[in-house]
Amino acid sequence: MAISCSYYLEDCDTRELPRRFLEAFAAILSHSNYAPVLDAAARMKARCSRCAVSCQVYQATGELRDIPCERSELLLKVYRRYFTLSGNLKARLGGGFVLTDEHINRMAEDFYRCTACRRCKFDCPMGIDHGLITHLGRWILAELGLTPKALVVATREQLEGKTLNTSAIPVPAMKDTCEFLVEDCEDLHGLKIDFPVDVEGAEYVFFAAVSDYLMEPDTLMGNAAVMMATSGSWTIGSGDFDGINYGLFYSDRMLDRIVSAEVAEVKRLKAKKILIGECGHASRSAKFFVPTFCGGDKAPPVVNIMEYTYDQWQAGKLKLKKGVIKERVTYHDPCNISRSGWITEQPREILKHICADFVEMTPNREDNYCCGGGGGTVSVDEIREFRTLIGGKTKAEQIRRTGAKICVSPCANCKKQVAEVCEDHKLDCRVSGLHDLILLAIDAPDFMKIPKSDENEPADAGIKEA
Amino acid sequence: MDTWITLARGPFFRIALAICVLGLGYRLGVVMWQLLSSWLRAGDQRIPVRAVFKATVKWMLPTHLFRLRPVYGLASLMFHLGILLVPLFFTGHVRLWQASVPVAWPTLGSGLADALSLAAIAGLVLILLGRLLVAASRDLTTSEDVWILLVLLVLAVSGYWAAHPMSSPFAPRGMLLVHVLVGDLALILTPLTKIVHCIIYPFTQLLSEIGWHFPAASGRHVAVSLAKEQEPV
Repeated sequence: MAISCSYYLEDCDTRELPRRFLEAFAAILSHSNYAPVLDAAARMKARCSRCAVSCQVYQATGELRDIPCERSELLLKVYRRYFTLSGNLKARLGGGFVLTDEHINRMAEDFYRCTACRRCKFDCPMGIDHGLITHLGRWILAELGLTPKALVVATREQLEGKTLNTSAIPVPAMKDTCEFLVEDCEDLHGLKIDFPVDVEGAEYVFFAAVSDYLMEPDTLMGNAAVMMATSGSWTIGSGDFDGINYGLFYSDRMLDRIVSAEVAEVKRLKAKKILIGECGHASRSAKFFVPTFCGGDKAPPVVNIMEYTYDQWQAGKLKLKKGVIKERVTYHDPCNISRSGWITEQPREILKHICADFVEMTPNREDNYCCGGGGGTVSVDEIREFRTLIGGKTKAEQIRRTGAKICVSPCANCKKQVAEVCEDHKLDCRVSGLHDLILLAIDAPDFMKIPKSDENEPADAGIKEA
Repeated sequence: MDTWITLARGPFFRIALAICVLGLGYRLGVVMWQLLSSWLRAGDQRIPVRAVFKATVKWMLPTHLFRLRPVYGLASLMFHLGILLVPLFFTGHVRLWQASVPVAWPTLGSGLADALSLAAIAGLVLILLGRLLVAASRDLTTSEDVWILLVLLVLAVSGYWAAHPMSSPFAPRGMLLVHVLVGDLALILTPLTKIVHCIIYPFTQLLSEIGWHFPAASGRHVAVSLAKEQEPV
């Protein structure tokens, strides 16, 4: 049968899907650590619906299919039937579940209605990690070619294309962009910045979400301004400058290849550490999976730019002006860096310092709601209505309650999604990166200041806009 | 009747207990082996032990359950306290255990045992009602969810009536027989049904954590298994 999903698929072989699904499932179980989790979940059979109250998608749709434990059950049912003794016996006695094309189609649809935010884990009385089960389900489906086309096309370009990044930006174009940003920063902010490329022996190799080079100039200028002000030893690598890792969303095979490419670039440049820009999934995929796939504790350490900035500020190497952002500001916690409690306080401390009117949205930190575009779905343009009006409904309500004019979302995916959520829910709020605001609040050392001329705007011109 | 009660409290109980202990022991061994073998092949073997321990304690003391669904949380707590403490510490039960296990331990006072039994019954009824009346729960509920709760409800109610013949509408010896037989059945069901969570539950946080610690070569090995090493993205 033809597989039909709400997102675009590439042409793929749909013959004998159940057999091929089970082969992929068996191969993955043999070579991974998913089996114990599935085994525990399959035996405990937690289907109490408590997780429903924590899922923003279910809260918006009220559909049974969007309850996390119901979605996990799609895969657990296959596991019980084909990978447990009792399931096999039951089938031999002539009963029970049989894997069909329809069931696979349902998995292909439902696993991408989930934003993989993992909030439901907190509310499962049995402690089952439904996010992990969705992650596994997507990998099995990927081995059949059942993955949103947008994710596959971008990953193909990143791993095997001419440009080796998801936005297909050639190296000369990236360098040109950096030069424009240097000029813009001088003109708009009166600050001298630099984007070093291919500097051997730097401490950090910088991997922004590559879409920042196209869509987030202020974030990149803020990143560079912090590095310049703190005399940070950093470089962008021309061999790999993309922190995006869609492998986290659909295939551990791709996840492995993408983080391995990052580490190879660090080695090529004889650098010590990986510095990830403002991006939740890029940060999580590097932080947690560089050690997994690239040598455990021998792998290069991974630092998020917000951690770097906060540490430099705390150490007194970075000066930030107090209360210069006058409009009301709120902060959206990207799931991939906050759910585990990894980065929650550093951006808040900075914002409380530089903003005159900072308000929290609730719930927040580890308990924060997903923007609605997590799990790679933000890159799937054809499901925008679902993403913003359903997946993003709770986030829109959260932002509306704060009355904020600026929502800081230090993640490339969240920025795009929250901007679209604000647009589609008609919220009078704009989205910003953390470093966009830091750029306006930085108390630059003298060596960074460009002497004012008639053609130059004053150094704090942007503050009024903000 | 008395012969049946003797059988149910004697050989039947010992067989049921043996199935329960061996079944749970086997399951515990499997979980331990799974944890160890998964950790040994993880690419990154650094497990955040403190965070996992903290999460486990948090789940064992489920205060978070009260936050969003307080009635469910209270019902679950009442049910679990009663169903765990009364079988192990009620004086009559301790005597029965000690016929098979030659170890002594303290017992609950009869007043406290009664209160816990009633709490368990109330908790079970609330959970059953939640299963049947809350739309999302009802849609997810399977027959196993219901019949296991009913078995435990019969166990708790028959136990209370057996201990308080004056309040029982049925013959006391009959109630005792039902209670002992259903108790034997519950022991047998423990390792074979979702009640097995009593032994797996303390390890779910660690299992999830280890699940995310992939083997370093997992992707490459899967590619080889599926003959996809040379296949483009």
